[in-house]
Amino acid sequence: MNAIQYRTLTEAMLDAPPDRPFLTMWHDEDEVETVKFGEFVRLARLQAVDFLAHGLRPGDRVILVMPQGIPVMVSFAAAMLVGAVPAIMAYPNFKVEPAKYRYGLTGVSKNLKARLVVLDEQFPDDLLSYVDCAGDAKIIRNVGLQDSVSEPAVPDLPTDPAGIAFIQHSAGTTGLQKGVALSHDAVLTQLDHLASTLQLTAQDRIYSWLPLYHDMGLIACFMLPLVYHLPVVMQSPTDWVMRPGSMLSLITEYRCTLGWIPNFALQFLARRVPAKERPNFDLSSMRMLINCSEPVREQSIREFYNAYSQYGIRPEAVQSCYAMAETVFAVTQSGTGPTGLPGRVWVDAKRLTDAHVAERVAHDAEGSLCMVSSGRCIPGSRVRIMSTEGVELPDGDVGQIVIQSDSLFEGYYNRPDLTEKAKKDGWYWSGDLGFCADGELYVIGRKSDLIIVAGKNLYPQDIEEIACSHSRIHDGRAVAFGMFNPDLGTEDIVIIAEVEDESDLRNSASIEQAVRNAVVAELGVAVRAVYLKPPKWIVKSTAGKAARSTTREKLLSEQPELRKA
Amino acid sequence: MDEAAQAQELIDYILQEVIRRPAVQLTADSPLVSSGLIDSFALVDILVKVEDVTNMRIPAGKVQPKDMDTVTLMLATAKRVGKFRKAK
Repeated sequence: MNAIQYRTLTEAMLDAPPDRPFLTMWHDEDEVETVKFGEFVRLARLQAVDFLAHGLRPGDRVILVMPQGIPVMVSFAAAMLVGAVPAIMAYPNFKVEPAKYRYGLTGVSKNLKARLVVLDEQFPDDLLSYVDCAGDAKIIRNVGLQDSVSEPAVPDLPTDPAGIAFIQHSAGTTGLQKGVALSHDAVLTQLDHLASTLQLTAQDRIYSWLPLYHDMGLIACFMLPLVYHLPVVMQSPTDWVMRPGSMLSLITEYRCTLGWIPNFALQFLARRVPAKERPNFDLSSMRMLINCSEPVREQSIREFYNAYSQYGIRPEAVQSCYAMAETVFAVTQSGTGPTGLPGRVWVDAKRLTDAHVAERVAHDAEGSLCMVSSGRCIPGSRVRIMSTEGVELPDGDVGQIVIQSDSLFEGYYNRPDLTEKAKKDGWYWSGDLGFCADGELYVIGRKSDLIIVAGKNLYPQDIEEIACSHSRIHDGRAVAFGMFNPDLGTEDIVIIAEVEDESDLRNSASIEQAVRNAVVAELGVAVRAVYLKPPKWIVKSTAGKAARSTTREKLLSEQPELRKA
Repeated sequence: MDEAAQAQELIDYILQEVIRRPAVQLTADSPLVSSGLIDSFALVDILVKVEDVTNMRIPAGKVQPKDMDTVTLMLATAKRVGKFRKAK
C-alpha cells in the first residue's frame, strides 16, 4: 500500500474496496453501528449533495460541531468531496467548563469565517449565540440524511492536491486553539511515512477513543484508515472515561492491532479498571499501543505493563511517538531501533535541572532519573535541539525542539502573526523542550511551563512528582508553577496540591513543611508557598490532565495579593 | 427504588464521596457545579453513580453541564436519555 499513489484524500477514499469494513462505532453493548467503505462513500455523496444545496462551494470553510460518530466523519468526507475545507470542533459535554467552551466556540468560529456551520440536532440552543460567523454564513442542524437516492450524483469538482484539505486545531490546555491548515499533499506525505514506519499491513485494525478534533484522533485514527482502507473500532472519549475497561474489551473482541493514547491514559487504565474485569481481556493482538501527546513517563508505562502483562500485552507493544498538528502528525516514532523498544536513559536529575544537561548515570545511582524516548525521526523529518540564543546543541543538552518536515503545515489559518513566530527558514519552533541521545528524541515538557529560579531550569512535572510522593497528597493532583519575584529578579516556586481527604487539612502545617523539605532536598531550591487544597480543587483539562495555567489563575483569583507580591 | 430514595442515595454519595465536608448540606435542588461545590471532573464519578442508582445506561455524550447541576436534574436526565440495563 502506498498513500502517495493518490493525488488527494478523496481520491484515496473513492478507491477503497466497497465491501471492506471501515467504521465500527461502539456506543454500548446494545448499540454498535458499522459501515463498510462503499456505504460510507455513498453517505458522504448524499451529504455532499445536501451541502451543495446549502450553497457550499470549493474553498469554503465548514465547521462541524457534532458528537463522535459516523455522521461527523461522513460530513467531513462530504465537505472534502465538494472541495470545501472542513474543521471539526469539540462537541460540548458535561465535563467541559461551560465558560471555556463558549470562549473557544466564539474564537474559533470567528477566525475560520465559515460559509457553513453544521450542528448536531441536539446541540444546545443556549450555545447558538456563541457561534460567530460571517454575514452570509449558514448554520444548519444535522437531522439525518434523506436516504432515497441510491447513487447520489456529486458534480466532478477538481481538487488541487496543493490546496487546503482541512483545518485541524492544535491542542492546548488553555488559550484559544490555533487552526492548522493542511494540504492534501502534506497529509498524504505524512501518512506514507507513518505507514512505512509502522509497517502497516492490510491485516491491521485500529482502536480509538480519541476525539476527532485532535490530531491523534483525526490523523492516526480516521485519515490513516481512510487512505489505507483499514477497519477502525471507535468509541467516544466520554464513553471511554465512564467505562475505561470498555477499551480493553473492544481490543479483545475485535482483535485490534494498533492504537494511540496519551500518557495519562496508561495510569488511568491501570488504576480505574476493576480487577474483576481483567481476566476477560486478551490484548495479545496489539502490535503497538503508542504513547503520544504528552511527555512519556517511565512510571506510567510500568504501571500499565504490570497491570496487563498477564493479559497478553507484550513489552514491545507499548511504544511512543512525538506528534503535533503542525507536522500533520508524527515527527518521531519508537520501536524502529535495534531493541524494538523506546530508548531509556538514566540521567543525573540535579545536572538536568542545574546545567540543562542529560548526563548519563547508572540506573541505580543516587539521584538518577529514568527518561523514556519518543523514538527516532520518521522519514522526511529532522529534529534539532536549539538553545535560547538560537545555537544548535549537541546530544544530551536540553533545548527547544525545532523540526523540519516534508509534511509541515502552511501556516495558522488567518494568523500570519502566529505563523511568523513559529516558522523560521522552513523550521518549526515547537515550544517543547527535549534532548537527543543515541539518535532518539526525549521530550521533557513545554518550554512555557518551565520554572527558572536564579538561572536554574526546573520542570514543573519534577516538582509535582515530589509533592505527590507525600502519602497525604493525592497522586497526580499537584501543580507547580513559577511566580516572578521582582525583589529577587527571578521566579519563585508555588505548589498547589490536593490532600487525600479534607480531614488532612487539619495537619496542613506538617504536610506543607514535609513537601518543602522534600523539594529542597531533591532539587536544592526553596519553595515560596505550598497551598494545600481539598480533593477535586485542581482544574483538569478535558483530557484529564492537571491544567497548570487554569489552576494558577484559579488560585490568583482567590488570592489576588499574590499578583502584587 | 422510588425517585425520592434514588435522590437521597445520590445526595449521600455526593456528600460522603465527593464533597467530603461535614458542614455542607444538600437537597435535591442544591446547585452543585454552578455554585462551585464540585468540579466538572467529579461529574464522571457521579454519572457512574447515577447509572447504578437508576439501573440505567446513560450515553455520556448526550449529557450537558446544565443537566448535572442538581440531583433532580441528574435524575431527569437519566429518564430522558438513559436506557434500562438488561437483567444479568
